[in-house]
Amino acid sequence: MAATRRLQKELKEMQECGLKSFRDVHTDENNILSWTGLIVPDNPPYNKGAFKIEINFPAEYPFKPPKINFKTKIYHPNIDEKGQVCLPIISAENWKPATKTDQVIQALIALVNDPEPEHPLRADLADEFLKERKKFMKNAEDYTKKHSEKRPSD
Amino acid sequence: MDFVSTGGGSLVDNIFLLFNAYDWWVYYSKKEEKNLAKKEREEKMYDQAFEEILFSLDETPIYADSGGDQHNDGRDTNEFGADFETLQGLECLNMEQAKNLLNEHVDQLSSKLHISPSLAKLFLHLNEWNVSAIVTAYSKHTNAFLVDNRVKLAATAALGASAIPSAAACTDILPLSPSSSTSKSSTNASSPISCPVCTHPLPGDHFRSLTCGHSFCQYCWARHFEVQINQGITLDISCMASQCNILVPEALILTLLRPSLHEKYEAFAFRDFVSTHPSLRFCPGPNCSVVMRARESKPKRATCNACGTSFCFQCGIEYHAPTDCVVIKKWLTKCADDSETANYISAHTKDCPKCHICIEKNGGCNHMQCYHCKHEFCWMCLGDWKQHGSEYYECSRYKENPNIGRESAHAQAREALKKYLHYYERWENHAKSLKLESALVDKIKSRIHSKVMTSSGTWIDWQYLIEASTLLAKCRYTLQYTYPYAYYMQSSVSHYYTVISHIIPTGTWIDWQYLIEASTLLAKCRYTLQYTYPYAYYMQSSVSHYYTVISHIIQQYTYPYAYYMESSVSHSRKELFEYQQAQLEAEIENLSWKVERAETTDRGDLENQMDIAEKRRITLLKDFHLSSFSNPTKLDIPPQGGTTVPISTKDSSTASIQSEGEGVRSASMAPLSS
Repeated sequence: MAATRRLQKELKEMQECGLKSFRDVHTDENNILSWTGLIVPDNPPYNKGAFKIEINFPAEYPFKPPKINFKTKIYHPNIDEKGQVCLPIISAENWKPATKTDQVIQALIALVNDPEPEHPLRADLADEFLKERKKFMKNAEDYTKKHSEKRPSD
Repeated sequence: MDFVSTGGGSLVDNIFLLFNAYDWWVYYSKKEEKNLAKKEREEKMYDQAFEEILFSLDETPIYADSGGDQHNDGRDTNEFGADFETLQGLECLNMEQAKNLLNEHVDQLSSKLHISPSLAKLFLHLNEWNVSAIVTAYSKHTNAFLVDNRVKLAATAALGASAIPSAAACTDILPLSPSSSTSKSSTNASSPISCPVCTHPLPGDHFRSLTCGHSFCQYCWARHFEVQINQGITLDISCMASQCNILVPEALILTLLRPSLHEKYEAFAFRDFVSTHPSLRFCPGPNCSVVMRARESKPKRATCNACGTSFCFQCGIEYHAPTDCVVIKKWLTKCADDSETANYISAHTKDCPKCHICIEKNGGCNHMQCYHCKHEFCWMCLGDWKQHGSEYYECSRYKENPNIGRESAHAQAREALKKYLHYYERWENHAKSLKLESALVDKIKSRIHSKVMTSSGTWIDWQYLIEASTLLAKCRYTLQYTYPYAYYMQSSVSHYYTVISHIIPTGTWIDWQYLIEASTLLAKCRYTLQYTYPYAYYMQSSVSHYYTVISHIIQQYTYPYAYYMESSVSHSRKELFEYQQAQLEAEIENLSWKVERAETTDRGDLENQMDIAEKRRITLLKDFHLSSFSNPTKLDIPPQGGTTVPISTKDSSTASIQSEGEGVRSASMAPLSS
């Protein structure tokens, strides 16, 4: 499978470079097409916790884009209740075979840290984010404390 | 023409008389506030004027030498000149012919600019197939043109400097020919390089790159093309590098792509080419592969020779005059969204307003007669039909609640829904009537059959009935499409300016003045035009009937006319539209009623009704549809020549009369030639 060789290389690079904001990258022994990892955002209100994600690569990878899902609940205008995320870099129209998973993750972390209410997945949260920032921050922080994963100590 | 020179003298004089009558009317109504007695006197004045005209007409040999001119077939085309609804110069091409046409453009461009056909295709696709514009832009700013067309990177910050030659060698900048497509991005072709996409190490001669210099192995390129083509993407396939938007020309795709996919690629590319070509369009008919070619893309009716599908050439959906392409799209989307509410509210049955028995509508006509109590009423407004008959038909008009501003948001929402439903119900009702009336044709045919069998008339005697029902369908179709138009027409004064500035993008106060003049003029001219109908009626029907008809029509036309003079100019356009719409409604009702109940003896009557309905339809379309796209910068004046010249001087009024006169003649010619 064309995907395997490239994914093995990408996984190795990812694990070696030791990103602070994306850690614990694991893959199923039998299925390199499915990865998990932990997003550790820097900006409030999400810097009170960490968020588990799953990356699923299609068999046609890298000619078709991967899909990303949040496994941890998050109060965010661009991520819905099911954990689906709207990330332009991995949309079918924008996808480029030479784009690396590392770039995708960087884009995802940037989106988590700085929500983009202009193209929301949850219109109610985007509205709150724009009009009642204080209330949004409080709700998001409470939600993070209640639902998110523990942040790594270092 | 010959008409004016020979027998027209007395007609011109008589129309002058009409204008004089009109001037008096204006004078009176300005001087004193309208009072009923005066109005009656004025109406009498019209009666007199008409009597005089008709009297002199009796003695004037109007048809003296009109034989053999081009108006002889007036009935078949349309009485107001060329058929403006159907797109002229339309060709139906098969796929081969369409491909040849596209290839002609490609050859032309590639020989003019000395570029490969593959690159020429790309340029044409991105620039609406405008060869001369491409040549101009290319020779003026070659570099900018190449960047804009995604053939070259904007920044000269070279990724692979070797792959971007100097601008002078612009014809060779593309890796189109297989010889130049191998970019030796590494110095040594023999030592293996790792492909950024598949990570496999391969010798350098397996790599290809575009002008951007991003180099990938040919297997990955092929795979990339395959995935894109399977998603229906052809001409938009771009470089595989992150954020690189350089397009892949056809030549490289066909070089590397699996041969089994070539056919698929060509088919998709052809579809995309046709879609960007401004004068080509696929016939939207099911399983029809015809490509229609028109000289210009206009929102007119195009009909496919092969499958008979009829559609609007500009937007490709069903023909929708007088509503324009943007509005009809909005309307159809809205209907799709709101249809459930609308369906819930407007049920398929209604109760008889008198005896309250439940009635299902089974014919196209709105003139209902309760089978139970024999009460006659209008299906739309449930009002007594008597009020619809001769008087101004008001049922098609939506009356806005003037106190809306002061009411709560809830009430406003309800009002908005009410407004939408008002138009939607009428739209839906006509659509349903059209369906029911299509069944009517079959019914009529069997009726004719039985009539002929029982020796009441011959087949030829009954043909007119089929013609009538075809015309009915055509008129009802247009009427159906006036409702979305009316829905999006703004009525409040505060919105007036936006309407104007929409019509005239750079509207000034001078344009305002123009509008006031124009609408007065419009009223004047239309007034004359309306009077051509009694004239025509008189020409073709028996003399004994004419007086009642004329006085009936005069009565009708004094109402809208008074409307004009009294209402502010800001309302006139909408009112004119509503008026014309109501007129069309009324005539279609009459026609529908008559078609469903026709006997051989009704032929003359029915044909008059057909004429009138068709004229109403054309007047409405000319004012509200044709003017919007044939004359976008001018105000919406009907295209008849007379309307653009002031009536005050003698010469210009003659001009206007001439054009009206032709309308009269061609209209009245119809029955003679048949």
